[in-house]
Amino acid sequence: MLENFSFRTIAEYLPLFGHGFLATLWLSVVSFAGALAVGIVLCAMNLQRSRLSKVPAKIYIDAIRATPLLAQLYFLYFGLPRLGIVLPELVVGILALSLNSGAYIAEIIRAGILSIARGQVEAGIASGMTYMQRMRLVVLPQAFRVTIPPLLGQAIVLVKDSALLSLISVSELTRAGQLLASDRFMPAEGFITTAACYLILYYGLKGLAALSGRWLGSQPMRSRT
Amino acid sequence: MIEFRGVNKWFGALHVLKDITLSIEPREVVVICGPSGSGKSTLIRCVNGLETTKDGDLIVDGQRVGDPATNMTDLRAEIGFVFQSFNLYPHKTALENVTLAPIHVRKIARSTAEAAGRELLARVGLADKFNAYPSELSGGQQQRVAIARCLCMRPKIMLFDEPTSALDPEMISEVLDVMVSVAEEGMTMMVVTHEMGFARKVAQRVVFMDAGGIVESGTPEDFFSHPKTDRSRAFLSKILRH
Repeated sequence: MLENFSFRTIAEYLPLFGHGFLATLWLSVVSFAGALAVGIVLCAMNLQRSRLSKVPAKIYIDAIRATPLLAQLYFLYFGLPRLGIVLPELVVGILALSLNSGAYIAEIIRAGILSIARGQVEAGIASGMTYMQRMRLVVLPQAFRVTIPPLLGQAIVLVKDSALLSLISVSELTRAGQLLASDRFMPAEGFITTAACYLILYYGLKGLAALSGRWLGSQPMRSRT
Repeated sequence: MIEFRGVNKWFGALHVLKDITLSIEPREVVVICGPSGSGKSTLIRCVNGLETTKDGDLIVDGQRVGDPATNMTDLRAEIGFVFQSFNLYPHKTALENVTLAPIHVRKIARSTAEAAGRELLARVGLADKFNAYPSELSGGQQQRVAIARCLCMRPKIMLFDEPTSALDPEMISEVLDVMVSVAEEGMTMMVVTHEMGFARKVAQRVVFMDAGGIVESGTPEDFFSHPKTDRSRAFLSKILRH
């Protein structure tokens, strides 16, 4: 079986995969930063008392979570030009990933904030802190710790979701595999190499998660009060 | 210093504070007791606006609580609040817990706040615990940090919401000792507690609440020796029996 497997072709295509690897890496980083921004804004809107800010955030989060990312991507890619907005593929791709992942991140951050005991907020209120001071000094530093592991999980999902951008011809990892597969009729070589590259990214993120876990472990834990 | 005039409060259909009228003078120590669910905690939580009232007037340090014209964060800075469950910040050391509000709310220089914080922690017997995190402290030690945290704001009023109820019996006296010393310095205090020894020692007045209303109030001597109502007699017989 392996005599048909051409390592030489893979070696020949390595520069293309290197390019794809870097493309996936940086567009994931940019998308994740965008998703964090979207998530923080959505979460802040969702935590307000006013329905005017809460309801739109809830509808957005539900709409994103209820529909496939592929449908969202196609809406932005094919739909927006019909509405007169023409954007480069790469921008559409990063936008789709940020808007999609942001909805999930909003819920992750909200869970982190809500996990902070009511007594912590009351201690802040009772000492005369303003809402912003309470958030900055008491709630967010504690919520941050609870939030890091699920955020890294979401980052791993985002990296894999970025494969969909190959469908709007962004040249990234999966696109590199597709090119090798169609140029040389070698789908096994093409997609195994792609998969191996994703595995490297996955272990990189997992290492990051372990590092942050060790850092958090060395910090004092929440007391059970 | 603290004045309730016909204050009412509901939780939904539940009438938790019924027409409360109570006046507390500067430097006075008032102990509030009563059966569970009688509204004692709700009463003192109204003083710094942790709970809102429905009607009536509540004047604290000359300012009307809940009035839009009253700056509640400024007023709260003048009122220390000690919780039953301590509520220390778990991500901060004892010293950081004590200095956080003085630095950020009072805008005191960090070095000044830390010097004051060390002095107060030493005063409550925790001179060796400046850098300990709450999770490394016993309940009694945590509650003493919580009291030092309030004192570091140099408050005019201190409120205590069952400060010893969550403590193991052997840790109760170390907290009460600190509270007695605060009272003896002339602090205006409202204390929800069933520690009758504390009441006898420092309180000028004991207020007995039941079912959301003030049933009886008087000097500790009078209240403990000659309770006037059936409800207070029944309550005292239950807590003093053991």
